[in-house]
Amino acid sequence: MAEAAADLKPAPEKAPPAAPAAAPTPPPPSPETVGAPSSPSGSYIIVRDRFTIFCDRPLPSLDMPNALAYEVADRKQEGRPLYALVCRPDMPARVSVMRTLKGLEIPAVLHMVDWGVAEWPLLERKCVIVIYHRPLGGKVMDAHFGSMKRIPDHVFARTVIKPIAEGLIELGLKGVTHRAIRPDNLYYIDEQKTKIVLGDCVTSVPAHDQPVLLETIESGMAQPSGRGAGTYADDMYAFGASVLMIALGRNPVAGVPDWELIRRKIQIGSYATLVGDERVPMALIECLRGMLTDDAEQRWLPNNIDLWLNGKRLTPIQARSEPQSQRPLRFAEMEFHSIRPLSYAMYNNWDKALSIISDGTLEVWIRRGLELNDLADSIASAIKGTGAALGKGEADDIIIARVLMLLDPRAPIRYRDFRLFIEGFGSSLAVAMLRKQKLQAFTDFITRELWRYWIIAQTKFIAENQQYEGVFRELRNYLKDQNSGGGIERCVYELNEWQPCMSPLIADQYVMEVKGVLPALDVVAKTANIKVWPVDRHIAAFLRARYAKGTGSQIDSMNDQRPDRATIGMLSVLAIVQWRLGPEALYGLAQWVGGLMGPVVNSYQNRVKRKEIEKELPKLIRKGNLAEMFNYLDNPEERQKDGEGFSWAKAEYAAAEKLVYDLEHGQVDRQESAILTGRQAGAAGAGFIMFVTYLFIMLGKLF
Amino acid sequence: MKKRSNFFLYALIAVPIGLMIVPTIVVLAVALLPTGVAFLLERRKGFYGGLTVGAMNLAGCAPFLADLWFDGHTVQNAVGIITNVFAWMSFYGAAMFGWAIYSTTPSVVSTFMAMTAGRRIAAMRDQQKELVQKWGPDVESVYEPERKPGDLPAGPPDSLTNGLTKAV
Repeated sequence: MAEAAADLKPAPEKAPPAAPAAAPTPPPPSPETVGAPSSPSGSYIIVRDRFTIFCDRPLPSLDMPNALAYEVADRKQEGRPLYALVCRPDMPARVSVMRTLKGLEIPAVLHMVDWGVAEWPLLERKCVIVIYHRPLGGKVMDAHFGSMKRIPDHVFARTVIKPIAEGLIELGLKGVTHRAIRPDNLYYIDEQKTKIVLGDCVTSVPAHDQPVLLETIESGMAQPSGRGAGTYADDMYAFGASVLMIALGRNPVAGVPDWELIRRKIQIGSYATLVGDERVPMALIECLRGMLTDDAEQRWLPNNIDLWLNGKRLTPIQARSEPQSQRPLRFAEMEFHSIRPLSYAMYNNWDKALSIISDGTLEVWIRRGLELNDLADSIASAIKGTGAALGKGEADDIIIARVLMLLDPRAPIRYRDFRLFIEGFGSSLAVAMLRKQKLQAFTDFITRELWRYWIIAQTKFIAENQQYEGVFRELRNYLKDQNSGGGIERCVYELNEWQPCMSPLIADQYVMEVKGVLPALDVVAKTANIKVWPVDRHIAAFLRARYAKGTGSQIDSMNDQRPDRATIGMLSVLAIVQWRLGPEALYGLAQWVGGLMGPVVNSYQNRVKRKEIEKELPKLIRKGNLAEMFNYLDNPEERQKDGEGFSWAKAEYAAAEKLVYDLEHGQVDRQESAILTGRQAGAAGAGFIMFVTYLFIMLGKLF
Repeated sequence: MKKRSNFFLYALIAVPIGLMIVPTIVVLAVALLPTGVAFLLERRKGFYGGLTVGAMNLAGCAPFLADLWFDGHTVQNAVGIITNVFAWMSFYGAAMFGWAIYSTTPSVVSTFMAMTAGRRIAAMRDQQKELVQKWGPDVESVYEPERKPGDLPAGPPDSLTNGLTKAV
C-alpha cells in the first residue's frame, strides 16, 4: 500500500485527442456525478506511469454506491479493458482486502489490477483509486430493486452458481469475506454474457451497501456501517438471496420495508419470506434452502454447493424450533408466543419496552410461559444490576439494551438508533467520524460497557470475544484520556488499521502511514492558518496509535499545562518523526512550526539568550530540519545555564533588596553609629593635634 | 594583701616623681580644669568628651609647659604661668576648641554616612535594574525581615515613598 500511495502521482494534463481504441463511447453523466465539481474538460491522471484515468469519461453503469467509475487506458497493454473506481472520501475503503486481492486473478472475482492513493482533480484532494479489469457484459442486474432477463434454468447452475461458489472458495482460502454479493454487483465479464464474476468489495466498509433482503436476519438488523466483516456464512446467505433474485429475474419482496422484511424473516424464516408465493425452479430449491437457512451453523458453504452440483443429495436442513409459549404476551398491540419476534418488536417500540420489563410482565412470561428460568434470572439480574449502577433516567436505555441482548444474543447490540455488531464497531465509528455524525452513542457503547454485556449474553463460547474484551478495556482507557493522543480519535485509529488520518489539516492528503504525515503537513503549510498547531488531536491520536513507541513520551509532553513545555513537546513530536522517518527537509512545516515557538523562546529567562535565539531561528527554519530546531531550542546545557543564571540573578536581586532595606530601615542605628564614630574620630583628631603640637614645640625648644 | 603591696609600690614611685614635678602639676591643675569638667559631664558616654577636650586642653598647655620645662622648672615659674592671662586663654581656648570638635564630629560623620548609604542604595537599584533587564521581572523579590513577636509592621522603604511618610 505504501508503495502504491507513493507511486500514484497526479499529472493533470490535457487528455490525448483520441480515446483508447477499446474504450467505448462515454455515456452521459449519471445523477451520481452531479454533486461532484465540474470536470476540467480533457483532464486525466497517470498512475504508476502506466494507467491513464480519464477524469472526464465517467462510467455510470459501473459506479458503486460509494465509488464512481472512470475509463482507464493501460499504456503498456493498449486495448486492455480496465476501469477505475474512485472511492468517496467519506467512506473508508477495505485496504487490508485490497492488499490481499491486488494482482490476484481469482476465477469468478473481478480482477483487481492495482490500487493506490492519488490526487483526484474533480474533488481536489487525494482519493483511493482501485483499477479493475472491465466487465464487458455489464451488470447482471442493473439494480437490486430492478428486473432482468431470466437465465434459462438448464444453464443456471453452471452459469451462476458454480463460478460464484468457486470464487467464494478462493476468497475463503485468502481469508477474505466478500460482503458485497448482490445482483447489481455481479458482472458478465465477457460481451457474450456467458461468464459471471463477483464485483468490487473494497470501496466501502463490509456489507455497507447490502440491502436488508440480502443480509441475514442479524446482519439486517444492524446499521449498514456496523455489520462487520462477518463470516463466509454471511456471504453464502447473500449469495443465496442473489441467486433467488437472478432466478426470478426480479426482487421478490420489492416494496416491503426493511423492518417488515426482518420481522417476516424472524417469524417464518428467510426462505419462506423471500420465496413467498414465487415459483422457484425445482432444481434450485434444495440449494436455496441450504443457503438461506437462518441458522448460520447449518447454512451451506461453498463446498456444499460443490457437492450439490456433483449431484450428491445433502441431509435436509431441520429448522430448530424456538421455545413457544402457550400463553401469549401482549405487547404493542400484538401477541407473541416466542422470544425472538418479541425482542424485535421491543426494539421497534423502544419507548414502550421498558413498561413490560419494569413491571415484571416479561420476566413472569419467560418464567411461567416459556419455563426458561435461567433467562428470567439473567433478566432480573440485569435489571437490578443496571438500576443499582446508574441513575434511573440513565439506566432505562441500558436496561432495555441488556434485556434485548439476553432475549436475542445473536442480534447486534441495539441501543436506541445505535445497532451494530461488536466487530463492526470500528468501521462504524470511522464512517460516523468521516461523516461528522454525533459520536455520543459510540462513547456510551464503550463507557457504559454495552460490549461487555453483549459478550456476557452470548450463549455460545466464541474465542474472539475474549480478544474484544481486552480491546474494549483499552478503548475505555483511551476515552478517559481527554488529552491529545487519547479520546475517541485514538479509538478510531486503534480499531481501524488503515484508517487515514482525519485531521482537518491533512484529511485531503489521505495519509495512511506515519511517514506520510510530515510531508502532508509540509504541503498544507502554504495555505494553513499558521496560528494553529500542526499537531491537532487527530494527528496526535494517529501518531500514538500507529507509532506509540516513537512518539508516546513526546505527545505526553505536548499535553503539559505549561505553554512552553507543551510547545516544545509539539515540536519534539514532529522532530522525532522527521528524524526517524524523514524527509530531511521540510521548509514549509519548519516555517510554520518556527512561528509557533514564541512560548519556547520566552521560556528562557535570559533576555540576551532570547534575542540570540530569535536571530538564530530563521537560519534553522531555512534548513527545514525540525530535529535540529528542537535540539537548538531545548539544549539541556543551555537550559541548565539559563536556570542557574536565573537562580543566581534572583539571589543577587534579593541580596541587593535586603541591603537596600537595611540601608533604608537602619536610620536609628546609623545615627547612633555616626555619633559614636564622630566622638571617636573627634577624640582621635584631638589626640593627633596634641601630639603634633607637642612634637613641634619640643623640636623648636631643642633645636 | 597583694593589692596593698601594689599600692605601696605605686606610691613609692609616684611620690618622689610628684615631688620632682610639682611645678608642672601646679600648671596642669589649673589648666586641665575643663578636662575634668568634661570627664565628669560625659562620663556616661564613654569618656570621649573628656578625651577630646583633654587632648586639646593639653595641646593648649604645650607652649607653657615647654617654657616651664626648658626655662626653669620651678614653682615660681609655674605660678607665673598660671597668673598669665594669655596662658589661661590658651588653656581654656584650646579646651573650648576640643569641646567644639567633640560636639560637631558626630553630625559631620552622620551626614557623611548618610551620603554613602544613598550612593549605595542607588548603586543597588541600578544593579537590580540591570538584573531585571537581563533576566526579566521574574527575578524581582521583596525583602521582608523576619519579625519578632511584638514588632510593629515595617512601613514602606523610603526609596518607594520618596520620604513622603516622613514629610507628612
